[in-house]
Amino acid sequence: MSLRLRLYVAGGSPNSVAALANLRSALQLVAEPPAELEIIDVVDDPERGASDGILMTPMLVRFEPLPERRVLGNLRDRSVLLSALGLEERHE
Amino acid sequence: MAYTTDKGAVKMTGAPAGRGSSVAPAGRMPTGVSGLDDLIDGGLPSGAITVVIGGAGTGKTTFALQLLATDSDAQPGILVAFEECADRLIANTSGFVWGGDALPRSVHVIDAQLSQSVENGGEFDLVGFLAVLHAKAKKIGAQRVVFDGIDVLLDCLGNAALARRELFRLRDWVYQSGLTAILTAKAADAHAAPQAEYAFLQFLADCVVTLHHRTVGGRALRFLQVSKYRGAAHSANEIALAITRMGLEVAANTAGERCFTVSNERVSTGVPRLDAMLSGGYHRGSSVLITGAPGTAKTSLAAAFAEAAAIRGERTVYVSFDEAPQQIVRNAASIGVQLASHVASGMLRIHSLRARSESPEAHIARIRALLDEEGTRNLVIDPLSAMTQAGSETEAEDAAIQLFDLAKGAGVTVVSTSLLGNLTPFLEHLRFRVSTIADTWMHVSYEIRAGERNRSLTVVKSRGTAHSNQVRELILSEAGIALADVYSVDGEVLMGTLRWEKENNARRLREAAHQSAVLRQRKAELALSGIRSQLDALTREQSIQEEELSQLRAETTLEVEHRTGEDLELLQRRHADDAVSGPPLDTHGGSST
Repeated sequence: MSLRLRLYVAGGSPNSVAALANLRSALQLVAEPPAELEIIDVVDDPERGASDGILMTPMLVRFEPLPERRVLGNLRDRSVLLSALGLEERHE
Repeated sequence: MAYTTDKGAVKMTGAPAGRGSSVAPAGRMPTGVSGLDDLIDGGLPSGAITVVIGGAGTGKTTFALQLLATDSDAQPGILVAFEECADRLIANTSGFVWGGDALPRSVHVIDAQLSQSVENGGEFDLVGFLAVLHAKAKKIGAQRVVFDGIDVLLDCLGNAALARRELFRLRDWVYQSGLTAILTAKAADAHAAPQAEYAFLQFLADCVVTLHHRTVGGRALRFLQVSKYRGAAHSANEIALAITRMGLEVAANTAGERCFTVSNERVSTGVPRLDAMLSGGYHRGSSVLITGAPGTAKTSLAAAFAEAAAIRGERTVYVSFDEAPQQIVRNAASIGVQLASHVASGMLRIHSLRARSESPEAHIARIRALLDEEGTRNLVIDPLSAMTQAGSETEAEDAAIQLFDLAKGAGVTVVSTSLLGNLTPFLEHLRFRVSTIADTWMHVSYEIRAGERNRSLTVVKSRGTAHSNQVRELILSEAGIALADVYSVDGEVLMGTLRWEKENNARRLREAAHQSAVLRQRKAELALSGIRSQLDALTREQSIQEEELSQLRAETTLEVEHRTGEDLELLQRRHADDAVSGPPLDTHGGSST
């Protein structure tokens, strides 16, 4: 089952930058099969945030696998992030 | 944090904006609260931030929406709802002329409820939110924005430092965008002026309005206080508010309306003996609360009232939270209360509401709309306590008080029921303060004695009525509802079979006493008739004797006369000398010879 993700960010705000970095690093650990990740900046495209029902940022949405899950925040907590992605943390 | 719908697209263009749309002084945003703007320097500061703080049910959201609905065509507005969903928020205002479906199209409500389904993945900020909001405001030309329930958002931010940082961000955005912003925040206590809470929010704001309510002399009073107004001389006095169909209004403005016409007229309770207990019935336009455990016939008493009202030809609205209309009609018929024909004639309208589906405020709004229908004279709410199922107890209580006020203002007699266990006034007082606000409070309970459950009714209080303080037994039968006297023996009240036995005993005693009296009367009559007949006999005897006596007398006289005549004749015959003294008998002839 592949991952289909979307991350809503707000320009270069520190939380948004951190969220993207944290997500990418988590995906590097587990990315097989490769995840599909779309990034939407609501500062550039506020209409998109409104129409998608996203007000607060940074917000990670997992569309697949179902059920859909939403995580708000900078994703600093690795265990919350992995759990939301449906992945177990690897202990090397 | 789901942004689901933009409820801006609410129907109706007919804005009620006539009120409050007079030209405001420069830098002022009229509140739309009739009478308030004069007292606070023309309105709230425009292009600035006003914080509205108040406990549950103090009218924060109403205040904010009313402001947005005022003059909304010229100044569109956005309300961001953090606490309640947009639909419910709008439904809660449907009792106001400007609210519900009538909320102007130019008032946009954005759902920003912090959904449970969103997981907490660390710190976040308002950068994206403000970007989305900014675009929306620009698109519709918004002049003002309300953040309703900002406390909910602040809680989600996690800690005080983050909350402060984001509030600064919000403030900067408001100032840059030139919008007038209103932030509402919930205070813990609805009944006190919430001065101490949200110190930072109050520091940040240009203007701070607090709303609170308290009960004075059994009436719920609402107050507004401007505790901060940057750059303006203002009075920090409490301003009394009222909630009417117009929404919030300064109470002084509506004093004429709110000076309830107090009636001395009585309306029947539907139970003749209960009318007698209450010196003729309920006062017209008063509020009545019937409390009791389940099955104590609260609904029956309410139905009896409704029937009596409909028979009088008065329009009556029966709001039920428990049962369907047909069920109420059927159950009432089983105790001799006939509602069906009145429902058919439209004199009685029964509405079943689901207690849980809406907030107390929304229920109030719906009931208000029902009352507004032409000519409603009586209202039954069965049970009032169902409203506590939706929302907090304070909210429900506040709603109940509003409801009583509302009905009173309209001169409508309201009979409500409430589920209560045993009558322990102090506990109940705390539990449901409404009982102290109602004009008449009756309690129905079960008394279990000698293996029977019997219903008893007490009039706990009835304002302005010399009411009986006695407990009565409540008897339901096919013939209707009746009240029976109860006997008190050694401080205990007798009901049911015990009462019946007692009644029987009393009757036997009465009968025995009656019989002995009858006997004595007969004896006396006999004695009297004996005396009378003796008297008759004596009278007869008397008249006989009298007759005899007079006869005897007559006889005696005759004899004397006879004797005298005889003597004279004898003397004459003898030519006796002594005849000279007698009548002259031929004496001349004798001497002439």
